[in-house]
Amino acid sequence: MEAKNLNEKESLELISQMIRNSRLKLEDGNGIPFLIWGYTTFFVSLLVFLLVNTTGDYHYFWFWFLIPVIGSTGMFISRKSIVKHARNFIDRVIGNIWFVTGIAAFLISFCAIYFQIPILTTMFLIMGMGTALTGLVIKFRPLIISGFIGMASCIVPFIIQGNEQIIVFGVIYLAMMVIPGHILNYKGKKKDV
Amino acid sequence: MFKELNPILHSELRLGIMSILLSVEEADFVFIREETGATAGNISVQIEKLSEAGYIEVKKGFVGKRTRTVCKITEIGVDAFEEYVEALKSYLEINR
Repeated sequence: MEAKNLNEKESLELISQMIRNSRLKLEDGNGIPFLIWGYTTFFVSLLVFLLVNTTGDYHYFWFWFLIPVIGSTGMFISRKSIVKHARNFIDRVIGNIWFVTGIAAFLISFCAIYFQIPILTTMFLIMGMGTALTGLVIKFRPLIISGFIGMASCIVPFIIQGNEQIIVFGVIYLAMMVIPGHILNYKGKKKDV
Repeated sequence: MFKELNPILHSELRLGIMSILLSVEEADFVFIREETGATAGNISVQIEKLSEAGYIEVKKGFVGKRTRTVCKITEIGVDAFEEYVEALKSYLEINR
């Protein structure tokens, strides 16, 4: 492309071509945040389950706070290493959805230190909502389905009692975030080929 | 009656840059270069012209040790782009 003048028809063609191209490019690598938070939640759940089950010491519940620490670090590193060269309206909407979701999750976790709250149920609802909303915004069915499955899973901690609900929590997170995250990345890469 | 075509926008590269910035909220120099296929020097000159006209906002920052130039279309830019498309339409309708 050069700094030359165009005729009217060429101008309109150029406008539509540029808009079409830049829209396609923005769909790549969107699955990474889901993989970071999904895997982190799964492995921390596994760790908490193993430690509490083997020692019987409930102080290990403090390890839940490894999720925001590892997750935020992972997000920070991924943003540093993968520079997103452009941001559109959808990126901003998704960013804001997860900003609000993250604050809600943090506040409820903080409250759970002092008050008796069905924390796993609340987490299923909050993160399921974030996932389903993201899926609806980008019109991506695996995320919509997994988000609603996550929300519906809020009943699981009432059905499964005891420490087993911790491991079930991790497995559901794996299904809710990691599977659609990998599908999203795969679709993004496929578009690049 | 022909509407006058805005000379700032009626250039292939400047129009390309404006079209990209209209479809994304912000884009950096690398993205614009990849999308337009133009040389870095040429893009710099055209970005400067669009910025001087108040059509885009240019922010310079750093990613690690590298500089990163991010461009964003302004309200004035959106209005100018709309007027330009309206003017184009009037030309095409008369030529039909």
